[in-house]
Amino acid sequence: MFGFIKGLGVTLSQLPRKKVTLQYPEVMPEWPERFRGVHRFIPELCIVCNQCARICPTSCISLSGTRDENRKQRIDTYDINFDICILCDLCTEVCPTESILMSDTFELANYDRDSLYLDMHWLYDNQLKYERAHPDRVTAGSDLQESAAKEEDV
Amino acid sequence: MDMTRAASLPIIEYEGLTPEENAELRRGGLLMGSLEQVKGWARANSLWPLTFGLACCAIEMMGAGAAHYDLDRFGMLFRASPRHSDLMIVAGTVTKKMAPLLRRLYDQMAEPKWVIAMGACATAGGPYVNSYAVVKGVDQIVPVDVYIPGCPPSPPALIYGINLLQEKIKMEAAGKRVTQA
Repeated sequence: MFGFIKGLGVTLSQLPRKKVTLQYPEVMPEWPERFRGVHRFIPELCIVCNQCARICPTSCISLSGTRDENRKQRIDTYDINFDICILCDLCTEVCPTESILMSDTFELANYDRDSLYLDMHWLYDNQLKYERAHPDRVTAGSDLQESAAKEEDV
Repeated sequence: MDMTRAASLPIIEYEGLTPEENAELRRGGLLMGSLEQVKGWARANSLWPLTFGLACCAIEMMGAGAAHYDLDRFGMLFRASPRHSDLMIVAGTVTKKMAPLLRRLYDQMAEPKWVIAMGACATAGGPYVNSYAVVKGVDQIVPVDVYIPGCPPSPPALIYGINLLQEKIKMEAAGKRVTQA
């Protein structure tokens, strides 16, 4: 009997405490800045160096590009196969121009595997979404874009 | 083609109505269709998943079941027997040695049953995609309803996938085909 009262006492002492459950579909979780969600991609910054595709442990990145009239490399296609992407962040580590970055998008579940094969346009939309959600975090990327624009002017 | 359960039920003809009016009543799903929808609602809100963790994704699945994300909010109680459960969350790497056992557990589950492939390994082999011992996607063994990418997916990503499955159950009970989220 004493044990029963003791147990109920523990329960009652926990009752007035703050609830820890995150009501997820209604309340979105707040991810830290370095959270590794789905990638975001800035096509203007990419120099088609292929380092992300080479470092990828599962070879889930495939890309192609061509030289434009100034002999600069321009990206044509950039696909990530999220079937096998393990979101290890190595592609963003090696990217010299920070054109491929991680976002905090995590809602990627789907009814078929084909729609997990994401192209450049989806990834750029994700970048725009990230810029809208976190205007304070993307200053570094926009600085780079400005410097790239200046280089083009020169 | 209408693949729902309501379509396979015996056709009810009301007296005093023309065949066209009867057909319209059946299309509207006045009696049997709405019963299927009630059943779909009940099934979607009491999914009992099988406790079936194979690797690190199982840790995230446990995290989703614990207090911070609390799968009980969606009427989900983890069951230790396939005969109690109607959802199998394949959480982790399925090796070729495990594949027949996974199939047996799926066969032991009672109808209606659904499968969620959680994580890159269950979806397509993930980091072991070049391994000789790993099944390249659990959809080679059992029919999968929802794929959740990530390595491992965070608990909110799993809950998002479960909500997609609930949507699918309700939509299919209403007689609509679900292909794209």
